[in-house]
Amino acid sequence: MNKQSGHLSEFQIAFRHFRRNRLAWTGVMILSLLYGGAVLADFLSPYSFKDENRNYSYAPPTSIHFFDNGRLAWPYVNGMKLSFDEYNKRVYQRDPAKHYPLQFLVKGEEYRFLGLFPCRRHFFGVEAPGRWYLLGADARGRDMFSRLLYGGRVSLTIGLMGAVIAFSLGLIIGGISGYYGGRLDNFLMRLCEMFMMVPGFYLLLALRAAVPDNFNSVQVYFSIVIILSFIGWAGLARIVRGMCLSLREREYVLAAKSLGLSDIRIILRHILPHTLSYSIFAVMLSIPGYILGESALSLIGLGIQDPYASWGNMLSDAMSIVRIKFAPWILSPAFLIFLTVVCFNVIGDALRDCLDPMLKAEGHRDG
Amino acid sequence: MLSTTSDPRSFNDIIAKETSTTLVTGHIFEGLTTTNAFTTKVEPHLAERWEVSPDGLVWTFYLKEGVVWNDGRPLTADDVVFTFNDLIYNPDIPSSARDIFTIDGKIFKVEKMDDHTVRFTLPVKFAPFLRGMSQPILPQHKLKKAVEDGRFNFTWGIDTAPEKIVGTGPFRLTRYDPGQRLIFERNPFYWKKSEEGDSLPYLDQIVYLIVQNADVELLKFMEGTLDSYSVRGMDYPLLKPLEKDGDFTVYDLGPDMGSQFIFFNQNPGKNPNTGKPFVEPHKLAWFRNAAFRRAVAHAIDKDKIIEIVNNNLGYPQHSPMGPAAGFFHNPHVVHYDYDLEKAREILRGTGFMDKDKDGFLEDEKGNLLEFSFYTNAGNTERMDIAAIIRQDLEGLGMKVNFRALEFNTLVSRLTSTFEWEAVLLGLTGGIEPHFGKNVWMSSGQLHMWYPRQESPATEWEKRIDEIFIQGVQELDEKKRKQLYDEYQLIVSEQLPLIYTILGVKIYAVRNKFGNLKPAPYGEIFHNLEEIYIKEGYK
Amino acid sequence: MLKYILKRFLVAVPMLLGIALLTFVLIRMTPGNYLDTVRLDPQFSQETIAYYEKLYQFDKPLLVQYIQWIKNLLRLELGYSFHYNVPVYRIIGSRLWNTFLLSLAGFLLTWVVAIPLGIWAALHRNQFIDRCIQFFSYVCFSLPSFFLAMLFLFWASQSGALPLGGMYSPGFESLKPWGQLTDILRHLVIPAMALSIGSIAWLQRIMRGNMLEVLGQQYILTARAKGLPENRVIYLHALRNAINPLITLLGYEFSSLLSGAALIEIICSWPGLGSLMLTAVRSKDIYLVMASMLMGGVMFIVGNLLADIGLAKADPRIRYE
Repeated sequence: MNKQSGHLSEFQIAFRHFRRNRLAWTGVMILSLLYGGAVLADFLSPYSFKDENRNYSYAPPTSIHFFDNGRLAWPYVNGMKLSFDEYNKRVYQRDPAKHYPLQFLVKGEEYRFLGLFPCRRHFFGVEAPGRWYLLGADARGRDMFSRLLYGGRVSLTIGLMGAVIAFSLGLIIGGISGYYGGRLDNFLMRLCEMFMMVPGFYLLLALRAAVPDNFNSVQVYFSIVIILSFIGWAGLARIVRGMCLSLREREYVLAAKSLGLSDIRIILRHILPHTLSYSIFAVMLSIPGYILGESALSLIGLGIQDPYASWGNMLSDAMSIVRIKFAPWILSPAFLIFLTVVCFNVIGDALRDCLDPMLKAEGHRDG
Repeated sequence: MLSTTSDPRSFNDIIAKETSTTLVTGHIFEGLTTTNAFTTKVEPHLAERWEVSPDGLVWTFYLKEGVVWNDGRPLTADDVVFTFNDLIYNPDIPSSARDIFTIDGKIFKVEKMDDHTVRFTLPVKFAPFLRGMSQPILPQHKLKKAVEDGRFNFTWGIDTAPEKIVGTGPFRLTRYDPGQRLIFERNPFYWKKSEEGDSLPYLDQIVYLIVQNADVELLKFMEGTLDSYSVRGMDYPLLKPLEKDGDFTVYDLGPDMGSQFIFFNQNPGKNPNTGKPFVEPHKLAWFRNAAFRRAVAHAIDKDKIIEIVNNNLGYPQHSPMGPAAGFFHNPHVVHYDYDLEKAREILRGTGFMDKDKDGFLEDEKGNLLEFSFYTNAGNTERMDIAAIIRQDLEGLGMKVNFRALEFNTLVSRLTSTFEWEAVLLGLTGGIEPHFGKNVWMSSGQLHMWYPRQESPATEWEKRIDEIFIQGVQELDEKKRKQLYDEYQLIVSEQLPLIYTILGVKIYAVRNKFGNLKPAPYGEIFHNLEEIYIKEGYK
Repeated sequence: MLKYILKRFLVAVPMLLGIALLTFVLIRMTPGNYLDTVRLDPQFSQETIAYYEKLYQFDKPLLVQYIQWIKNLLRLELGYSFHYNVPVYRIIGSRLWNTFLLSLAGFLLTWVVAIPLGIWAALHRNQFIDRCIQFFSYVCFSLPSFFLAMLFLFWASQSGALPLGGMYSPGFESLKPWGQLTDILRHLVIPAMALSIGSIAWLQRIMRGNMLEVLGQQYILTARAKGLPENRVIYLHALRNAINPLITLLGYEFSSLLSGAALIEIICSWPGLGSLMLTAVRSKDIYLVMASMLMGGVMFIVGNLLADIGLAKADPRIRYE
């Protein structure tokens, strides 16, 4: 790893450069918040993702009251009662007799805190039978806010994992193809093109149809990740191959060869690290594709299955003008998807700007 | 201007199988009889009248004089004979009609007496015969050659030039743009006259837009492009207040025909290749226990399902023949109220207890009460119903592994591999109970909980078989009703299918149509030929 | 050059067959076949279903079916659609054209909007206008296109400015040729916008990056130093060199639009391949799926080839052997 030490300082320079980009730094902050929310979902959410209450179908965000009979009081929520008006529209009426003060560390459904020890305390909420919907409820009276936090676990990791898998595949195949060249290169590149030729969405459909149906939700999640990355690797492999083609003629690679180092060692140690800076921001920029891909699968009902939440399947619930009209809060997953994708793009861009000088210094010197 | 959600798959009424096709062919072709949309009684249509021999086996139909195909050629008895003998009973032509008109493997004898008289000779008595005679008649002069060449199966596909499709119906197809629209034009040769003696139909043209997305359909209706819209429960609060401003009316035609039900695998068979039973024996024992099924029936929160899924517009279903079936509907069957306590009690009574205190029940031998529960993906309404039922069953202490499968996968499990445990599915219904024989007779292949039995597995299944065999040969309507009432009662007691809810048929139609007579049976435009556009709307 | 094109086509043939095999295996890997839908219809008997099974050779092994399909392909027969009961080419033809039209419109829109936008942004680097463009490109990039399509439709229904989905107006036949053209164009606006808005954002950023890179190059500085007029420097020298690398993207971009169109077609009722494919895959209408996949592949190959030829024309340094 002696070669790496020289790069580290360059990465440090890039990092400082990155810190100065305020927009990108904001993006990092927002993403950390979202990821933090997903990790602590059990604790932060007042209810579990499948905790439904059929009396609160499409309940609007609960209004919090600060005054009780004209006097300032500890914030509280009232009970709600559902009825249908003459047009069969849902009408929620406040029931002032029922009074539930807001509480922190309220007792609720049991979960394992960080997966380690059982815990019943939720960060905030109201005592049952009161319901506090911070962002409204979905069709079956489940809390949107809680589901968004839980859904983040799926949507935020699907991109990361998908990108990592696709890029490992792309790097290895691209690396091998570029390093060896010749027939192998020809074959691998035709294979890549084959995957690029098939319209991605159709391939997605066909692959998804091939997933065994007795998979449980975790297995379905992983198969979706694998399917999405299966479609994404080809593009990267081609770019990496292009970079490798020029890298392998470099003096130090030739030197390594003449020293008798094994091919795998040369590829892993001396060629792929030089494509790393490109890969880092390319990973960042490709993550949104996976998040959007999952939402597209969900739209046709093939994504993560209810009762488990993902932003994609929550958004597909909102793909209806009538529902949006009567319950606009169900659009919130769209907003989170949007926010996340913007953040990843901003960060990816900033990374590219920072790493660009290095790129020029290595890959594109003679370009 | 109307709309449909999907492309037709054929214009060939004999081969055609589903609603997107019959929607098209329904305007073009007609049968000898028709069903009155208000009374559900059978009425003459292409046939002027008919006679039946005292033993009920020989039926003579007299065709209306002056009925002309839309290319100007007259309709004759030859066409009727051709439709039955050369098309429906042709072994080379796959046709669902053949299954209906075959009794115990025997077919009807169809003969031409003269140009306008046809005689049907039945092997045995067949009660739904007249209703079956609404089978569309196809033109011999257009199709004879195709049948002789063995090409009929590929004739009148969706790539056919519209003018080649010849029928006697009020409209004829003039244009089909795949994925976009179908245009029908008035058939100038149509035989029917209005009471005032006007030539029907009044409308010069009907356009169907093919709109796949129901929301876009709604927008198009609200914008004014479409004249009619089939209202989903959730659209109702949006559309109903707009009636005046939008100049349309929302018609509520009552409960829908289609049913949604959950059922359990009661098939004791074994996979012939692996020797493994389709259902594990201890699970099979639960599923075959009617008490277990009753407990599940008590856990179906029909009211909340209607509220949540259908926006409080819907009906609980108790009997296999819904209220939409009219005459044959039996309201006096066993009703199962949503009562989780009662369900728990029944489960306790059958030996289910939570012995290891893990929150889930075990049976007497200590097997965990766990099963998989499937429905088909893509139908959001059904997914919601399944999700609600699942939640309640888990509340009872059952471990339910719910999964939405692709429709094809689900069907192949139901009909060929038999490896499933519980399923939520729907079937469309009709007003003639006999046409459901494939579901209810134990030998039927849609007898889904245990299909194609060689002899009835239970007493009650045996009784239902008897009822269906007797019912089809019973010509006295009252006695027939008694028989089918009994079958509905047995089903509600034994619960092979546990029914959930019925949707509603609600249509929003612009106020521009005259003679619009929405009827509970049949679509909103069942009398399309009599409908005209009012003055001031043209 | 001709030799090169010929060679490319020869290479394409096994790839297309590979795609077909992949599709075939994928579809057959999953349990169930087309007849499953028929099986649940209460009005069908065993005999009828057995008849169909024989007709479509579903009882034969997989390889036999595949070889049979290739044999038919050589006779230019794409197979038979079970779902529609007609030869596949009859269904695909018009829909392929419609999808092509939509993709083309999206493609043109992307390039016509993104290139000037990218140049504009690059010339005003880090100024207000650049920031605005970058901000909007983030926004456009970040919503699923099908969701945008729905929002556009909703907007159109509120404003009445544009038709809601479909391809023609009701009175299309009675219009004059010019009117027919504008009618189709009006219907194209929403789906093409939904389709291209993400690509615009993406291409605009690449163009901006390229332009900035070129503007910093030695020869541009030299040209400026020589006192050439600024417009001449930018449009004659910089632009040419900034666009060249984009041409390689052209082919790939085109095929990705093709596949991106599927969901938008469904939402906008555009009569293209997308909705057809969705039903076909779901009902395992195998030959229809394979034919559609092949068409997608062909479009990709042609697009790529055109891109390479374009590149060779634009950049005299590149020669294909």
